[in-house]
This record gives sequence, structure tokens and C-alpha cells, in this order.
Amino acid sequence: MDFTLSPEQLLIKDSVARFAAGAHAGTDVWPKFAELGWLAIGAPDELGGFGGPLETLLVMEQLGRGLVVSPYVSQVVLAGTILRAAGRSELLGRLVEGEERFAVAYEEPHARYDPAAVTATAAREGDGYAIRGAKVRVLDAATAGTVIVSARTGDEISLFAVPAGAPNLTRAPYAAEDGADVANLRFDGVRVDAQAMLGPLGGGLALLEQGLDHAVAALCAEGLGLMSLMLEATVEYTKQRHQFGVPIGSFQALQHRMAEMFVEVELARSMAYLAAMTLEDRRDDPAARKRGISAAKVQVARSARFVAQNAIQLHGGIGMSEEYKAGHYFKRLTMVERLLGDTDFHLARYVAHRGAKTEAAPLRVAEPAPA
Amino acid sequence: MDLAFSPEERAFRDEVREFIATHLPQDIRRKIQAGDHLQKDDYMRWHRILHERGWVAAGWPKEYGGTGWTPVQRHIFHEEIAYGWAPRLMPFGLHMVAPVIIEFGNDAQRARYLPKIASGEEFWCQGYSEPGAGSDLASLSTRAERNGETYLINGTKTWITAAQWADWIFVLARTDPQAKKQEGISFILVDMRTPGVTVRPIETIDGGKEINEVHLENVVVPVENRVGKEGEGWTYAKFLLEHERTGTAGIAGCHQQLETLRELLAQESIDDRRLNERIALVEIELEALAFTELRTLAAESAGKRPGPESSILKIKGTEIQQSLSELALDALGPYAEEHLAPRYFNYRKTSIYAGSNEIQKNIIAKRILKL
Repeated sequence: MDFTLSPEQLLIKDSVARFAAGAHAGTDVWPKFAELGWLAIGAPDELGGFGGPLETLLVMEQLGRGLVVSPYVSQVVLAGTILRAAGRSELLGRLVEGEERFAVAYEEPHARYDPAAVTATAAREGDGYAIRGAKVRVLDAATAGTVIVSARTGDEISLFAVPAGAPNLTRAPYAAEDGADVANLRFDGVRVDAQAMLGPLGGGLALLEQGLDHAVAALCAEGLGLMSLMLEATVEYTKQRHQFGVPIGSFQALQHRMAEMFVEVELARSMAYLAAMTLEDRRDDPAARKRGISAAKVQVARSARFVAQNAIQLHGGIGMSEEYKAGHYFKRLTMVERLLGDTDFHLARYVAHRGAKTEAAPLRVAEPAPA
Repeated sequence: MDLAFSPEERAFRDEVREFIATHLPQDIRRKIQAGDHLQKDDYMRWHRILHERGWVAAGWPKEYGGTGWTPVQRHIFHEEIAYGWAPRLMPFGLHMVAPVIIEFGNDAQRARYLPKIASGEEFWCQGYSEPGAGSDLASLSTRAERNGETYLINGTKTWITAAQWADWIFVLARTDPQAKKQEGISFILVDMRTPGVTVRPIETIDGGKEINEVHLENVVVPVENRVGKEGEGWTYAKFLLEHERTGTAGIAGCHQQLETLRELLAQESIDDRRLNERIALVEIELEALAFTELRTLAAESAGKRPGPESSILKIKGTEIQQSLSELALDALGPYAEEHLAPRYFNYRKTSIYAGSNEIQKNIIAKRILKL
């Protein structure tokens, strides 16, 4: 058992950390990401790819610490995983080079995060398909050149890659609370040819779930970065801020709260790593993968809420101020907590798949450890 | 980074599992399965079986009969004991006083005490807490007055697990009442048969009689029974407490409790969504904590001493143990099986003993967050 990073992994971590510490707000980070090679993580060798879930974790944790709100999860992780699993290297290559951006449109109104709750349809028309339906909360749709959309082909669900400018496809973009680019999409008979289908007919849900699980693991890492920085900022602030003639960090009520935040951050760290390991180890066992990823999201989301709310509380009035960074971290963490499935969604999904755990947990109780 | 157990470690796990399955006396296993209280003879029969196999003195140097195990092997052994429904090894001799004697005692003491601790011939208990000195242990008032080659000891020690079975007690006593609080304390070994030593059982709210008060009234002890230097006892006490904290997460025990709970639900045909989700939340936290423990183990394997991070294991481990005992009670309603309510009552001790969870939060605040 060894938790040390390889020299290559340390290099990634340090270079992302350096980038994240610099000024990046309001700029398009994408060309820079492409130049630094970060868009190739998880891609196959022949496309110049390297690394996998663990490298993704290192990138996302540092982006989180620097509050870099970027399309990394929606592009490299979500779309990238789907395109790789579907064997579409001509599309993936353009993503890796930074030449084209992708949006994955899977969630529908009232679906409550469930990727299987699809009413959009792709009806056979000539040698292609016509897609009809509505998708909501599509990440990074405004800048996407291609939209990957889920639709029913009969009883099953299939995925299609659709040019974002296709006739009868309308985008209604808006900015999320954390400034992220989101859109609602309507497909009113969007024509695509048979080549647009990703993976086999009816294989869309499996591809989508695989991509989403990779994306959730990446979000867990971003959440970890965000909350670890919030804890550090809170500890620092309570050492500087004086009331009653002493630093407020000397008060035990506040110390215990921060100790509890520390415990939560460490539990979240463990689950973020476990999520990355699950993706590596459970490649061929989707049920175990779903169980592990949902467990991680539940823990990270709960830890995130506790750490974020208490960070604001311990900062006092300044934590409420739009000028100060704590509030911005709070907003992003609140989004991360709910993106791609909130605690309730993933808890239910975990319960549905909990039998998938293979490690035999034996039985019965002894008394607790010694007094 | 390699987060899996090595083939050697897996082989060790199988070996321990096999040994427990074939050597643990059936009557002892049945008692543990039924949740019955174990007697001294149960503990010591098992102790002797393990001793014969050379498996009791984990963490001791090899020259004194230690197992030579790595931290990971110790962890595996600890878990398998719980998974195999075997009694834990009583820690007071093996894992508390022995490391202090090895580290700070003299050769004569090592020769006199260690073999009988290992063989189980002499049973130990811990004389730390006093009616007026709990979390603030250094305020203890038990006196050891030097008269030539003997100490005259007077005072009361309390909350002492298994004192009714013990042959020896290690006592923290004040040898210099003029010195500062932490100074002037010495670490003294007392034969329980010495005139003036009396044991009074303390019945706990669950009906248990595992803890005691020990009165020391004009107890005469030879000076050679002092470990290390006079007045340095506090240093040794802290050393011991750090040893005590490792393993307090009780992960394997939690897994057993969880399985017991699931069996109960199956037996009673309870399938309630809310309850299932409450259990799932605890199960997820347990998974996060188990991985956190592996992270600290990996650090230990890399040569790092167990540090203040082990406070996370104590806090969260005991919270989870308590949650599980609560869930079992809640699951079966007012007519809970007769052992469930006592366990729930009994487990309230876990967040109090071995440094209360509030003290653990102080440790995190001071030593990790530097508040």
C-alpha cells in the first residue's frame, strides 16, 4: 500500500496548482489547457493521451482550490469518456486538441437527475434519425460545437452526436449561480444521419452512465479542493480576527467546529480517492462502479455542505460579502454538491446497488474497543 | 500510488482467517455471536492459543517476542479477529504497559514482566483516571511518597476495565507534590495482591460490571517497580495514550454490527426506505473512515509515527459505532431484543473513553490546525 504520487503525477498536480493560483477569472482557460496537455488525460495513447481517473483527480482538486470554473468536467471527463468508450477517436481527437467543444444533453425536465428517464425520441427517417424532445441544465452548451444527446430508439436509449448549429435545435443559455455556462435545449425534429449514433443502437444508457460516473468522480475531486481551501481560509481568518481582545480562533466553540470541518474534509478526501480507484478497478462491473461512485458523491456532498456552511458562519459578516472569496467558494461548492445528482439521488442509487459490494463483510458483534 | 494489499498481505490475511476458523473454541465463538459477556477464562484461553502461535505481541520488537508484523499486517490481524468472532486480546498488558516497559524500563523489568504479559500468566489493568482527574489527567492526586527503597501510595483510581481480574495495575502517581502539574508524576507498577489494594465494581447503565474503582490505601511498593525516571511519568503516559489511540476506529467491529443489523431486518421482514437510507448513510461514512484508516496505515508503513490524525479515527469511529447501536434499536422499535438496548446504553461510553471526543477535537485544533 503506497499513497505517494509518481514524479509525473506530482508534475501535473504542481502545474495545475500554479495555474490555479494565478489570475484566470473571466478569461477563456481552454486554449491554455490544450497547450498544457491537460485535455489529453484519459484519452488513448494513439491520440497522445495519458493518465486516468487518478490524474483527473489531481487536476480537479487543484482547479477546485483555485476556484477555476472551467468546462473540464463536461468536456474532458464526461464527453471524453463517452467518446472513448464509443470508439469515436475522430471526435475525441478534436476534443483533445482543443479544436471542438462538446455538450452532453441528457437530463430532461422532471427527470430529477435520472439519465434513464428519457422521453426524447429518435425516430428512423430515411437513412438517418429525427430527434424530438427537451433537455435541461446542459453544461457548457453555448460554446459547444457538438451536442451529445440521449433519445429513445424504441424501448432502448441511444446517443447521438449532433452539430450544435443543426436546424430545429434551439439553445436557451443562462448563467448558473456560480457563473457556469448552462442551457436548456429543444430538439424539434433535428435530422442526423446514421453515423451520428455513438456506440451501438440501444447502448446509449450504458455509455452515458459510464461517462457520468467519471464526471461525478471528477466533481468529487473538485469539491475536495474547494472545501479544503475553505477550511484553510477559515482557520487563517479566525487567527487574524480579534474580538474581546483575542483571536476568535482561541475560542473552543469555534475550534471544535473547525476540528469537525477537518474531519469532514478528510472523509471527503478518502472518498474522492476511492472514487478514482473504483473507476480503475471496477471497469468491468458497472453495478459496483455505480455503488462506489454514488457512495463517494453522497459523502463529498454532505461534507461539502457542512464545511461550506460553517466556513461562512465562522467568517461572520465578511463571509456574506460579495467582495470576499469565501462566498464564491460557497456558491461553487453548492453547485458541485447538486451537479449530476444530489445527495438524495445518489443515496437512493447507492441503496439500489449496495448488494454489488463484493468484499465479504463478515458477521456479528463483539463489544467495542477497550475503555 | 498503489492502494491495494500486496499478494503477501492477502496471503497473511488468509492464514489468519484460517487459523481463527480452525482454532477458536466453539463455545467462545457462540458467546460472541449471541452478544453475551465474556469471562476472564474465555479471553485467556484464546490468548494462550494465539500465544502458542506466536501472535500476541504485535508491535513489540522481535527480541522480546514481538511478531515482527508491519503496520498493515497488524491491521489485518486486528480486523480478522473481529471478523472471525474471536475475543479481542486484552490490551492493558500487551499494548499499553508493555510498550512503556520496552521503551523506558530497564532490563530487569523487561525480563520480569514481558514474558508473563505475553504468555497471559499475568493480567494487567490501567490506573490512570481518578474521581477528580479525567480529561485533565495531569491534575491527578494519587500520592507516592518515597521512604528509602519503597513508595507509600495513597489514592483512588477509577473507570478501570477488568480490574477484578487483574494481577497487576500500572499507576500514575505524584512523587513530587511541589513540582508543576505535569512534572512530579511517576509511572509505578503495583501488584494487586499488595495489602491496601481494594477493588469496588461500578455497575454501568447497561447492567454491565466491567469497570471498577481501585482504592490504594497505604500501599507499600518497592522503588524498583517504578518504570523510567522519577517525575517523568507524564511523558510515558502520553506515549502510552498515543499507542492506545491506534485501532480505536473499530472498523471491523462496525462491519459486524452492520451485518447483524441487516440480519435482524431480514429476520423481522423490515424493508423501510427511510431506515434503509439511514443505514446507507452510516455505511458510507464507515467506508470513508475505513479508507482514511488505510491512508494513516500507509503513512505509518512509510515510517511516519501515528500522529494527531488518529483523532479522526477515534471521533468518527465511535460516532459510527454509536449510530449503528442506535439504528438497531430504532429498527426494532420498543420491543427490541433484550441485548440491543443494553448495547445501545453501553456504547455511549465509546465517545467518552480513551480521550473523550471533545479532547480529540482539542487535539485536532491545537496540533493540526495550530489554533
